Amino acid sequence: MEKITFKVQRYDPDKDKKPHIQVFTIPFKHGMTVLDGLIYIKENVDNTLSFRSSCRMGICGSCGMLINNLPMLACHTPIEELKKDTITVKSLPNFPIVRDLVSDLSLLFAKHKSIKPYIIAPDMAEIEKPTAEFLQAQGQLVEFVQFAYCVKCGLCMAACPTMATDKHFLGPQPLAQAYRYSADRRDSGAKERFRETDTPHGIWLCHLAGACSEACPKGVDPALAMQLLKRGIISDSLRLRKKPVPPSVAPPQAEKKPRVAVPDFTIKKPGAKS
Amino acid sequence: MRESHLKILQYITAIGIFFLVGLHLIISHLSSGEPTDWTSVAQRASSASWLAAYILILIFGIYHGLHGVRGLILEFSLPDRAVKVLNYSIVFVGIAVFGYAIYIPVHAF
Repeated sequence: MEKITFKVQRYDPDKDKKPHIQVFTIPFKHGMTVLDGLIYIKENVDNTLSFRSSCRMGICGSCGMLINNLPMLACHTPIEELKKDTITVKSLPNFPIVRDLVSDLSLLFAKHKSIKPYIIAPDMAEIEKPTAEFLQAQGQLVEFVQFAYCVKCGLCMAACPTMATDKHFLGPQPLAQAYRYSADRRDSGAKERFRETDTPHGIWLCHLAGACSEACPKGVDPALAMQLLKRGIISDSLRLRKKPVPPSVAPPQAEKKPRVAVPDFTIKKPGAKS
Repeated sequence: MRESHLKILQYITAIGIFFLVGLHLIISHLSSGEPTDWTSVAQRASSASWLAAYILILIFGIYHGLHGVRGLILEFSLPDRAVKVLNYSIVFVGIAVFGYAIYIPVHAF
């Protein structure tokens, strides 16, 4: 049976002063992913190994790790594609380590929350108690839908070189989502988001390294979103940005016409003479 | 002032420096005659349009350079208070350098 070597980062904050590497050699099967390997280690070799995982199909974003020095989703990374006999797995950089391969993502979520990642409409009553769906043409959806595929895995934040030097930098994920919502025609909160992102630690610290787009497992291209956000902010500063048109709500369904009544003579009552 | 306003000024000063320094290079190094001759320098120094060009190069260069330095320093994790101190320091240095440098062309005029 083929074998594969895993060099896994271990760190127990109660016992260890700093992270260290532990080596495991496990059986390899065709089609195995890095997550499969970690689950095998946990179930058969060392059940103290800690890592996050959930969907195992690349949609939840839980299993983000540094695999052979690149941020990837462990469930979405077949071992064969790495073309190495040794797989090195560490926690995501630019985030504090909770334990082993588990990173503390609370800063990511706090920064994401700060850019107001929800539809802000003039009629908030309609948002809170909707009477119908907001109308949006297919072409309007296409303008931002790519950026809506974000699963908040944090790989872009881990890859970003500016995040490595400036912990206050908002980061690719919040900035891309700020554009996603500002570009949505149903939204009128762009100015509020521009105030949050047009800051000394905001959008202007992005220097277009592109590592975020390279790391993104969902094809979101946060680098593109950030450049579009810069364009939006500059347009707004020069007062060239078009005033957003409030979104319209779908009209109420047309009233149904009453059904034609069935004539009595077609229904035989029981016991009636024919 | 929003960061985007500062960035727009950075782009404007970049374009301004490109043209003004280009003009300076053409006059000083590519045109015929002796541009570094005393009479030529004195003639340009007493010209209002050249004085305006020199002052613009000075303003654009100081702003562009110091804003770039500010950007470099902001790459580090500075707290908000330190950013404020940095901003005031940059403005102070800029005004001081401008005041020192403006003396010669104005005096020569």
